[in-house]
Amino acid sequence: MSKGVLVDLTKCIGCGSCSVACKMWNALPYSQITQQQGSNLDADTWTVINRAEVKKDNEPVWRFIKYQCLHCDEPACVSACFSKALKKTKEGPVVYDVNLCVGCRYCMLACPFNIPKYEWDKAFPEVRKCQMCANRVYNGDSPACVSVCPAGALTYGDHKTMLAIAREKINGDGDYVKHIFGEKEAGGTSWLYISDIPFEKLGFRTNVTTKPLPEYTESIMGLTPAVGLSWGALLTGMYVYNRRRNEIAKEKEKPGKK
Amino acid sequence: MYDHVKEDKQQLDKQVTRRSFLKMMGGLSLAGITIGLTGCSNTTTVAEQAGGDGWLPQQYQARGNWPAQVRGRVPIDPDNPSIVRDDQKCILCGQCMEVCTRVQTVAGHYGLPMADDIICVNCGQCTLWCPTGAITERDETQKVAQAINDPNKHVIVQTAPATRVALGEEFGLPPGTWVVGQQVAALKRLGFDAVFDTNFTADLTIMEEATELIKRVTGEIKAPLPQFTSCSPGWVKFCEYYYPDLLPHMSSCKSPQQMLGAVAKTYYAKVKNIKPESIVSVSIMPCTAKKFEAQRPEMNDSAHYWHNKDLQDVDVVLTTRELARLIKQQNIDLSKLPEENYDPIMGEGTGGAIIFGATGGVMEAAVRSAYFLITKQQPPADLFNLTPVRYLEGVKEAAVEVPGVGTVKVAVCHGLSNARQVLDTVRAGNAPWHFVEFMSCPGGCINGGGQPRSSVPPSDEIRMARINSLYQADAQAPRRASHENSEILAIYEKFLQHPMSELSEELLHTSYTDRGKKINALTS
Repeated sequence: MSKGVLVDLTKCIGCGSCSVACKMWNALPYSQITQQQGSNLDADTWTVINRAEVKKDNEPVWRFIKYQCLHCDEPACVSACFSKALKKTKEGPVVYDVNLCVGCRYCMLACPFNIPKYEWDKAFPEVRKCQMCANRVYNGDSPACVSVCPAGALTYGDHKTMLAIAREKINGDGDYVKHIFGEKEAGGTSWLYISDIPFEKLGFRTNVTTKPLPEYTESIMGLTPAVGLSWGALLTGMYVYNRRRNEIAKEKEKPGKK
Repeated sequence: MYDHVKEDKQQLDKQVTRRSFLKMMGGLSLAGITIGLTGCSNTTTVAEQAGGDGWLPQQYQARGNWPAQVRGRVPIDPDNPSIVRDDQKCILCGQCMEVCTRVQTVAGHYGLPMADDIICVNCGQCTLWCPTGAITERDETQKVAQAINDPNKHVIVQTAPATRVALGEEFGLPPGTWVVGQQVAALKRLGFDAVFDTNFTADLTIMEEATELIKRVTGEIKAPLPQFTSCSPGWVKFCEYYYPDLLPHMSSCKSPQQMLGAVAKTYYAKVKNIKPESIVSVSIMPCTAKKFEAQRPEMNDSAHYWHNKDLQDVDVVLTTRELARLIKQQNIDLSKLPEENYDPIMGEGTGGAIIFGATGGVMEAAVRSAYFLITKQQPPADLFNLTPVRYLEGVKEAAVEVPGVGTVKVAVCHGLSNARQVLDTVRAGNAPWHFVEFMSCPGGCINGGGQPRSSVPPSDEIRMARINSLYQADAQAPRRASHENSEILAIYEKFLQHPMSELSEELLHTSYTDRGKKINALTS
């Protein structure tokens, strides 16, 4: 059963517990202070809280935006990874296996949300990003960040249930914008966001396609075996034809042998 | 032909030489290494993917979304003037959330989504509960060190009543040890140009606040009763956030810290003939909220007085812990210092001022002087031992008979959850009291957010040790009522004229900010 997390941005108080829990559970070094304005993900920071100072009904308000991998249902990074180092698990997390990674960083180019980061300063670098605590999720626990949230901004459960809760909330309370970020974006993501401020004002990438990104390449890349085989067959045929033609030509040059 | 092949095969079998064997083994190893390097030999299970090498406290190890009673931590604005947090030390134990929610009733007592403010009354109780020291006061010791090293600056310092019964704990002395003389000696060795006592302005506060109370009771000032004390900046901000409708009850008197700041840059500067802009006013406080209070934009009455907009009444506030750090940095052992005295002009304090540091103390001191101001007679002996308002009960009440006025009813509360009880009564219109003392921190200033972390979380044993020390000093003080302070009489004679004079109003009184808009109503 695919799992998901619902982020209710109206509930976040900006305490940053989630980013600390991420550091603690994943034993990540503290390369930067979390919970600052304009902070971004890096190889050792898999989730951050960003303060957005916006206006609502002409009154200044603060909203705290949690960033991490959205764990797409059909991830572009997974489709770009030719060594199968990135995988979408059946529980939902998009996980990274360092043993398979060749370090090509195609995943970083493929991701529409600019999530995977690279350990540029290491001799044997890895690609790093939120794993949605795949090990905890596998064992039935919620991700570390969800488990520590004191404000009830994060809810974890079955993906379908999370979508249902999100719909119920935005339809029941007129304060919410009628948009579940992650329901359709990039073909749907395991992490869903609801908010009372339009998402584009909060720094979300709202112009992302709603089609799963791998589909764009699938129609072309799906032809690869056919093209490869027929091209090979064509070349083989030409080779056989040429060889045979040369043989016949050679034989015709030596009439004396008969 | 068949025979030929068979013969060749036999020949091959015989030809497994050492060389070909090694070649074969080398080939196999290479293949193995290649497989290993590409990762094909090592398929990782889901439970062993990247991450998950660390730990989380026990309360988060529940299956699924099971509730945890204690969760997360309080939000702290990176620009908070009073407290800072080191994320690297935070273990998400939830203690800050506990004290903020249950003891101070700040976190969790506002509706979401939030407005443009991270609600914090700056009381700093979280710094006393945090077991790893992740939350601490915003360290400003370097500002003070720089000012002291600047020969063009005249650096004065004031010390709050409560620091003298706690500072010693940082130097290995038992809780509550009375170190007032050693504290002055240490400050002089640190290089402060003058060391003053906040007790002086505590007495001044009593004179102003008792006068204001009398004027409210007689109807001379059109302001509602009961009058609220305004010495505790955490409490003041709490009232501004959660009970802005009750702000008219708040005494307009500044806190003793801000009164001393204002008279230092006016009265003291004039008497000593020092340029006010060269004075750096430092205060040593048991309190993190005092850092916020000193930075309030309206706390610049010396600027109005001198028409110099760059002046702020108090420039730097250090907590008791920061002072201890400064002293330790200079390798001074406080416990070995001789006792020295505060500097004159603003160095005298009475017993009534000493007990400002304990819950009930402001009330007791105010009652002593109010009695005198109304009756022009010395108060009776039981007003010098007003036990109903002393010690650690959450909400305390007392009734005092004052000739000519009748029964004056007072209430005292400490800790903001207790304040809510009193405030809700006042809001409902059921308050029988004339005067209510509020202190933000449980136990009063002696357990302020800037005090030494002598037990984590704070214990009543240590609170009582410090409180007893203050009352003992009060009992032994030669003068025990604020109106007997000779320097107070002098400042009124030479400078302020009388309590609530025009100049007093300008320098010693203030107004408050309605912060109700920052609090969204709690729903559900």
